[in-house]
Amino acid sequence: MDKPAEMSQKDYVEDGQNKLIIKCKFCGSKILDKKSAKYIMQEKELPFMQQDTRKGGEVQIETINQFYHVENMYTFENIGFTHTVANHKYLSCADCYAGPLGYYEIDTKHSYVALTRVEHC
Amino acid sequence: MAKTYDYLFKLLLIGDSGVGKTSILFRFSEDAFNISFISTIGIDFKIRTIDLDGKKVKLQIWDTAGQERFRTITTAYYRGSMGIMLVYDVTNEKSFENIKNWIRNIEENASADVEKMILGNKCDLDAKRQVSKERGEQLAIEYQIKFVETSAKDSLNVEYAFYTLARDIKAKMEKKQEASNPPGARSGAHQLRANEQQRKPTSWLSRCSVL
Repeated sequence: MDKPAEMSQKDYVEDGQNKLIIKCKFCGSKILDKKSAKYIMQEKELPFMQQDTRKGGEVQIETINQFYHVENMYTFENIGFTHTVANHKYLSCADCYAGPLGYYEIDTKHSYVALTRVEHC
Repeated sequence: MAKTYDYLFKLLLIGDSGVGKTSILFRFSEDAFNISFISTIGIDFKIRTIDLDGKKVKLQIWDTAGQERFRTITTAYYRGSMGIMLVYDVTNEKSFENIKNWIRNIEENASADVEKMILGNKCDLDAKRQVSKERGEQLAIEYQIKFVETSAKDSLNVEYAFYTLARDIKAKMEKKQEASNPPGARSGAHQLRANEQQRKPTSWLSRCSVL
């Protein structure tokens, strides 16, 4: 994929928060209101949205380093939470199955949305 | 941080396996993402934000899929739930008959004043239909629960159902709030007006309300 590994901060971040409304890339479902989440940089591995089933059971992952940090899950406009996998729940679009868009930490109850996996508008 | 919503309602989707609860949870149940990573893990719950008469309402909707084969849903699952969608499949007689069992399960485990609604799902599959709309309506009358036939596939009445259930919960909550906190006692301004009325009871009605 020729998606840029890192997205330009100035286009998406203002005062340390998401400058724009966050939507699902596939169906346009609204995920976050503008200025409702904190921009953070951290390295985290996430499974790809589309898995190549020919590779037999092994989950293919990529490293992502730009996230929106959401402390309270009710800040989300629309979002899905998967069943728990090793102390996480993955986040999905609430209207289609697209995901993981990020993850939710059981211990802290904080959510993290990957910038590269959502639409900014 | 300030609360950015007016109400938060926890809702459950309940019914036999295969009636389409997960399809009701998602707006687009097309095959596009059925092979995705998410669908193999399964969704636990989702958050949806809706506007109800100018109020911002957050719905936390739990899918009980996977648990229903035990025929009962545990008390922990019901805890705090304010609304329940009882789902059957109009092409599956057994799932309709089991609605009564689910209602019993709710009565045993959920809060007594939980709002309920019955959904007859898959109404797009008319050729395979085993349960008539009339029977669904009859059951709903018997239990005094609202009823609607839905098609998650065609997005028919699914939105309507969630709005209806949410609106009923909101109305019930507002009624409760009013009962425990009558309008007259809410603010200083109202209080003053109430006092004025007490001082000069002009009508028979206002005197009656003081008593």
